[in-house]
Amino acid sequence: SCSRAKDVTMPAKLPVNFFSTRSPVIDLFRGQLDYAEHLRQDSEIVLYFFYAPWCGQSIAAREEIEHVASKLSDQVLFVAVNCWWNQGKCRKQKHFFYFPVIHLYHRSFGPIEYKGPMSAVYIEKFVRRVMTPLLYISSRSKLLDFLSNYEPGVLGYFEFNASPQPPGYLTFFTSALHSLKKDYLGTIRFGVITDKHVAEEISLVHSGSVYLHRHVNTSLIYPNEIMNYTAENICKWALENREMLIRWLRPHGGKSLLLNNELKKGPALLIFIPYNPLAEINPLLDEITKVALEYHNCNKSQAAEPDLQHLGDSDSPAFDSSVPDAHMKLSETFSITKYPCCNTVVLPQWHSISRTHNVCELCVNQTLGVKPNKVHVPHCNFLEIEAALDSFYLQEHTFFQVISNTIECSNFLSFYSPFSYYTACCRTVNRHFLSFISSEKTILQTPKVAFSSHGKKDNTQHSIPHIEDKNWFIPDLHISGTNITGLSCRTNKTLNLYLLDSNLFWIYAERLGASRSNHLKEFAAIVDLKEEVHYVLDQKQSLVGSTLENFIKNFSILYSPLKRHLVDEPSVHFHEQRVITEVTTNTFHDTVFLSDKNVLLLYYGQWCGFCASLNHIFIQLARLLPPDNFTVARIDITRNDLPWEFMTDRLPTILFFPHQRKEQSVKFPEDFSVNLPNLLKFILHHSSLSSSEPCTKECLHKETVLQQGHISHLEREIQKLRSEISALHQAHDQLEAQLSEARREEHRLQQQKHTLEKQHKTLQLHSEQLQATYDRKNQELLEMAEKLQELADASENLLKENTLLRILVTSSEGKLQSKDEIKESLQSEQTLSEDDLSISTAIATSDEKRIDNTDTIETEHSSGNRTE
Amino acid sequence: RERVRAMFYHAYEHYLESAFPYDELRPLTCDGQDTWGSFSLTLIDALDTLLILGNVSEFQRVVNVLQEGVDFNIDVNASVFETNIRVVGGLLSAHLLSKKAGVEVEVGWPCSGPLLRMAEEAARKLLPAFQTPTGMPYGTVNLLHGVNPGETPVTCTAGIGTFIVEFATLSHLTGDPVFEDVARKALKALWKNRSDIGLVGNHIDVITAKWVAQDAGIGAGVDSYFEYLVKGAILLQDKELMSMFLEYNKAIKNYTKFDDWYLWVQMYKGTVSMPVFQSLEAYWPGLQSLIGDVDNAMRTFLNYYTVWKQFGGLPEFYNIPQGYTVDKREGYPLRPELIESAMYLYRATRDPTLLELGRDAVESIEKISKVDCGFATIKDLRDHRLDNRMESFFLAETVKYLYLLFDPDNFIHNDGSVFDVVITPYGECVLNAGGYVFNTEAHPIDPAALHCCRKRKEEQWEVEDLMREFYSLKKNKKFTLKRVSDHGEGESAKDPEGASSEKGGEKRNSKENSHSLLSCPSQSFNSKLAVLGQVFLDNT
Repeated sequence: SCSRAKDVTMPAKLPVNFFSTRSPVIDLFRGQLDYAEHLRQDSEIVLYFFYAPWCGQSIAAREEIEHVASKLSDQVLFVAVNCWWNQGKCRKQKHFFYFPVIHLYHRSFGPIEYKGPMSAVYIEKFVRRVMTPLLYISSRSKLLDFLSNYEPGVLGYFEFNASPQPPGYLTFFTSALHSLKKDYLGTIRFGVITDKHVAEEISLVHSGSVYLHRHVNTSLIYPNEIMNYTAENICKWALENREMLIRWLRPHGGKSLLLNNELKKGPALLIFIPYNPLAEINPLLDEITKVALEYHNCNKSQAAEPDLQHLGDSDSPAFDSSVPDAHMKLSETFSITKYPCCNTVVLPQWHSISRTHNVCELCVNQTLGVKPNKVHVPHCNFLEIEAALDSFYLQEHTFFQVISNTIECSNFLSFYSPFSYYTACCRTVNRHFLSFISSEKTILQTPKVAFSSHGKKDNTQHSIPHIEDKNWFIPDLHISGTNITGLSCRTNKTLNLYLLDSNLFWIYAERLGASRSNHLKEFAAIVDLKEEVHYVLDQKQSLVGSTLENFIKNFSILYSPLKRHLVDEPSVHFHEQRVITEVTTNTFHDTVFLSDKNVLLLYYGQWCGFCASLNHIFIQLARLLPPDNFTVARIDITRNDLPWEFMTDRLPTILFFPHQRKEQSVKFPEDFSVNLPNLLKFILHHSSLSSSEPCTKECLHKETVLQQGHISHLEREIQKLRSEISALHQAHDQLEAQLSEARREEHRLQQQKHTLEKQHKTLQLHSEQLQATYDRKNQELLEMAEKLQELADASENLLKENTLLRILVTSSEGKLQSKDEIKESLQSEQTLSEDDLSISTAIATSDEKRIDNTDTIETEHSSGNRTE
Repeated sequence: RERVRAMFYHAYEHYLESAFPYDELRPLTCDGQDTWGSFSLTLIDALDTLLILGNVSEFQRVVNVLQEGVDFNIDVNASVFETNIRVVGGLLSAHLLSKKAGVEVEVGWPCSGPLLRMAEEAARKLLPAFQTPTGMPYGTVNLLHGVNPGETPVTCTAGIGTFIVEFATLSHLTGDPVFEDVARKALKALWKNRSDIGLVGNHIDVITAKWVAQDAGIGAGVDSYFEYLVKGAILLQDKELMSMFLEYNKAIKNYTKFDDWYLWVQMYKGTVSMPVFQSLEAYWPGLQSLIGDVDNAMRTFLNYYTVWKQFGGLPEFYNIPQGYTVDKREGYPLRPELIESAMYLYRATRDPTLLELGRDAVESIEKISKVDCGFATIKDLRDHRLDNRMESFFLAETVKYLYLLFDPDNFIHNDGSVFDVVITPYGECVLNAGGYVFNTEAHPIDPAALHCCRKRKEEQWEVEDLMREFYSLKKNKKFTLKRVSDHGEGESAKDPEGASSEKGGEKRNSKENSHSLLSCPSQSFNSKLAVLGQVFLDNT
């Protein structure tokens, strides 16, 4: 139905630079794909960034790419191609369903599509992997390094003595690149051994053999005789046979069933740690993998041993010297010493000591004698540790001078008690060190060694775990006296272990209940999708190997002491106008069960349309009920979990917890419409007090309270009525004003009517007059016509007379010569009457409307006639 | 959020400068044109967006301009549907928000007021269209003369079933039931004419009730019919409307849903007629989230989002198997539906993916369609050619939903923690307690206002009686405790019980399985992890 005057259209704007001209990225914003291909010949490694200029994802990734380019531009060529502009070559040849797309080429091999997170560190890591897909293992120590890593490793042995390249090497190299296509993170590492002796360590003798290292199961050698030796096959073989002790989960952001598929396999332990793919070492990750390794290590003695064996005789000079010998001795010495109450603290990034150390062991020491009983009780008060932690952070300057890679300890006095002091030992943990420690196999007791240089040693103390949980952990320790080693095979509640990078996926942790104050972004939770429960590792504990082990053990035992974690909303806004009490998981019990009021509880969800439209009814109800006896409360059930017995499957649900009989809660019947009268009836019905008790003072008191409530209710009602009255008054005034205005209007209209009537009258008069004139004129006309007729008749008569006279004249001409004067006068009369005749014919044909004109003429003529 | 605000003012100011008082701005030629009538449509439509952006003074100014300048006594053929959703809806929502915007209101507000009278006048002009044998309205009406002789009797389904929100609100506020009655009658006529497999087609003859276009789906021509069944049910707490929707929903799932896409099928046979996704269908996830079907909503939303990523907008038709636009339907007139769904879903899930869509939308619209005089419709998404039109829904809906997506503390998102108390001559009213129901042109209606004017007295008296009973009940008990212990108590306790159970019995009989129709399922455990694109399959 719409008509457009003209169809004006405008082509899309011409493409412009997407990257700045100073950027190390070559920006082909006109989509010159051919030129991009041409550029590839010049560089060994090329990264193509295909973008669309309007695309938010491309714009966000642009910065990350620039960041990577600024670091690697001397080795890698970065080419950005606008693959949207429809005049460009790229758009014509490629058909992308999303942007940006990143392709990498290693010489002619490619494209390898990068599908990982659009974050600079991940991209850089990937590019680096494409640059050097193989690690060169030249020495024994490097081999040990390679093997001790948690990620699956594939090793190839190639003798480089003969021809430029040993047979099969290129295939192996390509398979390393190939694996990157499937596995954008390069979790499978590829290494190449060139030294015969090193190769013998893993019993590789023939050049060209490929070895897949596994920690728990026996390692494999690529079966040349069964499978063809191709890049694809090697890659496939490695992917199929690798160990998945612990898996990284990296949702790509699009629609995916990743978590669905993984979590449906069974209960899963999700561990969130901040991960930097570029970091050389990642102590926490190593520690976690160690736990995973132990957990899956079913034939205890075999698998984990060899690596450790290597490390055991690692006095060889080739061994990476980052761990000084003194260090090891120290730990050996002190590993026996246990402290009554210690806690391992992984330093947060902001802490000044974290520049040099990343883990501190914090112990509370009490002076013997002052509180002797406490010293002997194997109990570690959490408050003490917390207090110690506070003091420790305040004392950070003590550690300013320390050098990295050593253990530095310091004592400081407690702020709270003059008789106790704290010992803090800080060090940098790296993977060599950690693996060393765990070789002691004292996992249950103290997988971590406590260090101290100054603290008083009391060897008579019981050994006590550092990490504590105040509620339930300690008793379980003895129950779960089992080892974690190989637990996955022994328990019937086997966990799948997963890692998530909390830099990217912290939101999952938050939704599982990670506290907002968690700056470290370390979090662990066991999720059981089938049972719809999840458990959370106590967030007051730091996430280290031992806590994780205990967490797993507690999950595995028969009567698990773990409690279902209830997520609650961290921040509830309290408004001044609060007539409805907002309940959260934490306040549920207090508000509903501990209060001595009747409680009406609404379960709602912010998104549920049926709940939100009831808001006003509940507000009215809350304003109506006496606040001393009733609480109207609500809980956002989407953000606050409740114990099973209080869960509901429909929203909104209304429960009533009567005063004194809180356990007998009743549900508002679903088939009633939720409105004020129904709700009131419901409440009144169920709030009746038990009648059996005799009326005591208390009862009277209650009655007074109730009546006071009544009074205040009535007062409110009165107030309401007053305001209603005033509103009515206002409305009345308004109405009055409108009425008076209407009256004025009426008056005005009446006046108008009067004037109109007057006008009407005058008009009528006028019309009458006109009618009269018309009639008169008509009459006159008729008269005139008659007169004219008469005149005509008269003139006819005259003519007759004239002829008669002429005859008479001619007859008497001869006779009467003497009568000349009379004859003359008769002739003049004749001409006059001829004139009259012509006029009368004109009048007869003329229109009536011209009455006036003719009238005057006629009158003139008639008067003329009359004079005649 | 600030970029969205800047977008709004760029378009709004150019409309005022170059196009007012025409209906719409033509952004390429910098002038105006009348499209749906001649009522400065963009201004009416953008009015409540002004308030949502917090611009109170401009809202007040525009209210005055509209009161003086807009006249519905004009010889114009107007679309009944468009006039209702844009003009009546816009005026109603502006009327209900005017107190919040600091406009001085009449004492009788919200039951009277100049904007309400304008809305009523506009709506009355549409009533002649409903004078048909079936009760289903004509598509077009002349505002001065009524239905034109020779007017086509073929109307699209949405043009019949998209009145209940505005008309019921109008009836509740003015007290004249005629509006709600005609809207309900039209809805019921559609319900009666659904096919045996429970689907409705695209166009119907309102005289003979014969389906003229028999494609069934959730998109163009049908969309807001389903939307209004749900929103009407929410607004009016009406089980009947909801049960209709749930029946349709079943049929839609059975016949049109494939892999979280919704296709077009033949309404009698259920065979697929068009495997396309329409831009207009993108409202569906939002609607699903309102009734608690968040999982399915999110899955479908993620499908639609991939189309956006491919083109920087949603083509009117997208061929799903081919993964490309459909010929002659490549345009994107800056429609709001996907963003609308994102806003609703963000309320439910707080999933950052939804904010990401918002960011993408801002980037695309700015990069592609921004011109000197406003924002131009994208004529062809394949090459981003622009058309000389800026539809009024860009300011009314697209910008509004985008802004609301990025402004979680906006008063529109009020969850009931704040409210206003208004004293009217009809009694005390609690208003602005949240739960706003958006009409299909994104004009918010406060559901509390519907309880302000009509039926108010009866309910109030009942409540007062009950309160009296409440206090006297306790009093009786006190007396009975003094005298005979359980006799009086038993009586007084039974009274309310008897009354309520009687009433309950009645209701139970009349609607057997009506229980929990007006409720949402609570979210499942795995919803905790259903963010950043992760979806879960039902265990069944």
